[in-house]
Amino acid sequence: MSETAVGPALGLDVGTSRIVAARGSRGEHGAGERTYDSQLNAFVSIPYSKITVDALSRENVPHTVGPYEIIVHGNESEKFAGLLNAEIRRPMNRGILDPKEPDSLKVIREILSRMLQANPQQQQAPRKICFTVPAPPLGSPDALTYHEATLRQTLEDLGFEPSSINEGLAVVYGELADSNYTGIGISCGGGLCNVCLAYLSVPVVSYSVPKAGDYIDMNAAQVTGERANLVRLAKEDSFHFNGFSENKMQQVIGVYYDDMIRSLVASLKEAFARTASLPKFSRPIPIMLSGGTTLPAGFRDRFEKLLREQDFPITVSEIRLAQDPLHSTAKGALTFALSEG
Amino acid sequence: MFARRLDARARKIQDPVERLRFLQREMQALDSKSRPSARRRWTGWNGISAAAVAIAAVLAAPWPAGVAETTARESRMAIPAAAAAFESVKSPVKVWRVDRSETFETYSNGLRVDLTFVASNQARQRYPVFPLNGGAEPARYQTNPAGIVYHTTEGQLAEFEEAKNQRLKALGRNLLEVVREERAYHYVIDRFGRVYRVVEETDTANHAGHSVWADPSGIYVNLNTSFLAVSFEGQTGEPDAVTAAQIQAARMLTEMLRSKYSIPAENCVTHAQVSVSGVNNHIGVHFDWASQFPFAAVGLPDNYGQPLPSLIVFGFEYDSAFVRAIGGRWKGLDLAEAQVAEQAASQGMPVSRYRAILQHRYTDILGVLAETEGGG
Repeated sequence: MSETAVGPALGLDVGTSRIVAARGSRGEHGAGERTYDSQLNAFVSIPYSKITVDALSRENVPHTVGPYEIIVHGNESEKFAGLLNAEIRRPMNRGILDPKEPDSLKVIREILSRMLQANPQQQQAPRKICFTVPAPPLGSPDALTYHEATLRQTLEDLGFEPSSINEGLAVVYGELADSNYTGIGISCGGGLCNVCLAYLSVPVVSYSVPKAGDYIDMNAAQVTGERANLVRLAKEDSFHFNGFSENKMQQVIGVYYDDMIRSLVASLKEAFARTASLPKFSRPIPIMLSGGTTLPAGFRDRFEKLLREQDFPITVSEIRLAQDPLHSTAKGALTFALSEG
Repeated sequence: MFARRLDARARKIQDPVERLRFLQREMQALDSKSRPSARRRWTGWNGISAAAVAIAAVLAAPWPAGVAETTARESRMAIPAAAAAFESVKSPVKVWRVDRSETFETYSNGLRVDLTFVASNQARQRYPVFPLNGGAEPARYQTNPAGIVYHTTEGQLAEFEEAKNQRLKALGRNLLEVVREERAYHYVIDRFGRVYRVVEETDTANHAGHSVWADPSGIYVNLNTSFLAVSFEGQTGEPDAVTAAQIQAARMLTEMLRSKYSIPAENCVTHAQVSVSGVNNHIGVHFDWASQFPFAAVGLPDNYGQPLPSLIVFGFEYDSAFVRAIGGRWKGLDLAEAQVAEQAASQGMPVSRYRAILQHRYTDILGVLAETEGGG
């Protein structure tokens, strides 16, 4: 079998809270170096003024100017939300373009356009790109076609040859090469947890659970009276699973984290129990956890404890946390893009 | 054992990308082998392991071209009918006429309509409304206006400043005379925010030509009769020239018309959204208010986000020149594209074929309209 070098490609994890781009190529001797770039999939709008436009341009803050407002998007939006004491707005909700957000398409196009500019260090600009899309929620069909078609069109407009991949399957392709792409990939993001059971690279069951990071943030914000932004920061900066905490914020976050993990575990049991055509695995299979919501210390242990309490229909060899949970979905999308080359 | 052999062979490949490529190729080959003719179906499985059988069962349909196709198939997602694309928005606030003289009408929301330029045109006859889901025969007939189309007058503009007051007034007066002569719009809002009725609401106005819109109750074709026309004194591509007074007046006028005729918000749209060609099945013959119409300030939802009916129900198309002219894509354009693709898929035919069928329906409807002499 000959191995020919493949030109650079891109993997794109289009998540509710973050967009991650993975760049890489494949040389004659296997996988080459991967680089990652990440932006918040968010924006804030500021009332229009010429002075503000000039200041933003001077400071090189990514923004777009409309007739009545200025939109600051990407990573800078968080800073501006803090300065203006405003909630961040998001182009996506629960894994797909938010139909209630009128600026969703414009903002996501701007963010992608800036992120996907050809890497100046590369001689050859990547053409192939694989982007992630969520699976439908368990048991309830969902309209994903518009979301997928819109992203595809946007990427084509930016000069790429796009293909798409399910988020859970991307985790499998990114992290489970050593089990021949057999196992369960779980991506716990902001809007959704995406799950995929794959067998020898073929997706067998894919679905999503609408309880994820945002669910924790919003509910904890309601209980504590804080803004969801601040809850998210507290969750990402200092939360860990170690039982009861005297800090109310930590304690509330813990309650909703636990609820989220229980829902995820229950969905796994339900989904696999009702799938009639599950393969007969010749050996136990691994579960790979990834995504920003898996970052707190103790997440993997808590998940394993709750899963082992269930009568799970598949024998699990191990439950692993991805080495780089924020990038593994994009990495899997990149692997898929390169395999298509 | 097929699966074990495949597993073992794959493990010898070090490069993860090449390993993935190998597995995908082999599994696709297995999939195509596992779909023999109905008569040979079971004999063809000899020698393939139970695991491979199970995988083949999962892959009963063709190898998917995209994730949406996979997930739609997995979840047996129902393809929405055209009617599902249009959502009705709740009815407007009540506005009533407070006073009337020979030259002015005053309304309860503060609207003041100048009647000094009003003229009659052909009286509005009953017009046909076509069904959303097929056929060239009208589903019903209607006499009240079903919606509002917003235009710009495309006239000459002067700078909006006090020193140019006389010139601004003169241009406005000339414009009103031209509009009256052509019976072009029902209402004109001049740059000072003054609202003029130019064609009686009971009559048709020559404002929309070849045009299409739809709501949950049906499809409207050629909107001169079925939709009222409100025009801003202004220029296409220069939304900044429209004054705050004009927008405020448009809000009050829209409230009044919606209240009077129970017009749903989703039927208050711009000329660029409804305009179609009668020749080449393309949208966007006219570009007025192709972007930046102040829907929110006029008290309406962002109707640029509505799936464009001309694409969904009649398979109209557009080109890159249109996208450039409107300064980027509308959300409604993308929604409509996605819906056409979905509907084509649900019919098991290519999009181009599906569009051709829709376009044929439009031609049939134009024929019906020609026979009934100017309905719509």
